[in-house]
Amino acid sequence: MLRILKPGLQSTLQGAPRLGWRHQGVPYAGPADCVSLALANRLVGNLPEETGLEITFGGFESECVKACTIAITGASDGVLISRQSAPAHSTLQLKRGDLVSVPPFRTGARAYLAIRSGFQADSAFGSTSTYLPARFGGIDGRALVEGDELKPRGDATSIQHLETPKDVLPVFTNHFALRACPGREIDLLDPASRHALFRDSFIVGRQATRMGLTLTGQSLSLNSDGMMKSAPVFPGTIQCPPSGQPVVLLSDAQTTGGYPRIASIARCDRHLLGQIRPGDSIILLERTPEAAEEDFTQKEALLLDWLGPTKIRLC
Amino acid sequence: MRTDLIPIRTADDTFELSVETSQQAHLIAGALRQAALAEDVVAGLNSVAIHFAPHQAKAIEALLLNQRLPKISTVSAAEIDEIEVKYGGEHGPDFDAVCDTLNLSAAEFIELHSDRLHTVEMIGFTPGFAYLSGLPDTFQIPRLATPRPRLPAGSIGISGAFTGIYALDGPGGWPLIGRTRAKLFNLSRDEPFLLQPGQQVRFRSG
Repeated sequence: MLRILKPGLQSTLQGAPRLGWRHQGVPYAGPADCVSLALANRLVGNLPEETGLEITFGGFESECVKACTIAITGASDGVLISRQSAPAHSTLQLKRGDLVSVPPFRTGARAYLAIRSGFQADSAFGSTSTYLPARFGGIDGRALVEGDELKPRGDATSIQHLETPKDVLPVFTNHFALRACPGREIDLLDPASRHALFRDSFIVGRQATRMGLTLTGQSLSLNSDGMMKSAPVFPGTIQCPPSGQPVVLLSDAQTTGGYPRIASIARCDRHLLGQIRPGDSIILLERTPEAAEEDFTQKEALLLDWLGPTKIRLC
Repeated sequence: MRTDLIPIRTADDTFELSVETSQQAHLIAGALRQAALAEDVVAGLNSVAIHFAPHQAKAIEALLLNQRLPKISTVSAAEIDEIEVKYGGEHGPDFDAVCDTLNLSAAEFIELHSDRLHTVEMIGFTPGFAYLSGLPDTFQIPRLATPRPRLPAGSIGISGAFTGIYALDGPGGWPLIGRTRAKLFNLSRDEPFLLQPGQQVRFRSG
């Protein structure tokens, strides 16, 4: 069991995406970087979508109230256990009274803390993932605050020691190359913007939340007034409002939108969106849907080699 | 009448079908959801999106190629829901601009908006957000060039010829004309969603 001392900018419990409810307007939620949560869960012997803690930008501290086995992955490259340096991407044994700190990080945006057996959390629409805008899942549908106590679902100790293998260990920089498919309304971009979309890099603006990232650094032009009937959107969809500053949608993305859908981040790279911070650069690599499917199959095979036979959805 | 549907693959994990009305979209989406092959099937106003795990692409495409455009049945007269609205002022910061665009006085706009039946065409965006048709087709109100980062639950906006009711506090790009105290989404109710597609709504100034 962990007691929160410093929650950091935003820490929430996240588990499985909330599939099958988008027609009622209910978003997926779930970890912004589902691969990092799956890797954390693997290190403590959990299934990939077991409920874990998503920590934004670090600055997190908690106290171990009862001995337990945890792991921290994602953007964090080192953690502190009672002020002593301890490895990320590795099983960690905590004893009562240990302080667990995740210092701020400069690359990547989110760290994931998994505990053996998973954390207890509220369930809504079949998932424990916190969805802040409607306040459900997690702990009362809110971000963690000082004094919150996170309890495990079962026996939280394990003697097995594991480290994430090098070939699946993510390394985040401030530059991201993301594979993407042209969107349904890409022809609403004027020809110069259509060309620039997959050629010039973007800079991520200050709006970088679990709902979406704003792309700046180049402005796109629509060859119409951008009016269209509201249509379905998903995490990974890139919309272009008339302002010309595209928005890439993330886990908490709305289910429908009225701005032209100019592209969609391929599923194989979508988990990386959760690690992008304001000021990072993004370049989009154009893929056909068929090529992106092949990319997905390759990444899935690489991950499953380590994660085991359970499917990872990467949605 | 055209009865075949052509699935367009818009991403590694998405197919989309174009249809003519939201009623068609809901009927097709409902049928596809029954097949339980996809992760999500979402009806838009003139489209249906099918979201799936990429290795299901061939199975999903086969399913879609067998799908026919459904015959439209007349919808039975649904119960009319009345929604009280405070128009303009702090409740609707874009009310005056919308009236100007339409060349209507405040009173004329309120009468026009509240003196007719609106139909829920779609629930989407965020949990419980309702898109309602019923305004004259000549209304072409553009969305805000830059969405608002934050607006309160119950905010009512107009976009194109649609009225939208925001169910949650959060960001939004529709020009706002008023606000209601009705709760469109409430997880503690047995039925969390106040409105359903096809339902008829009348707005009352209050």
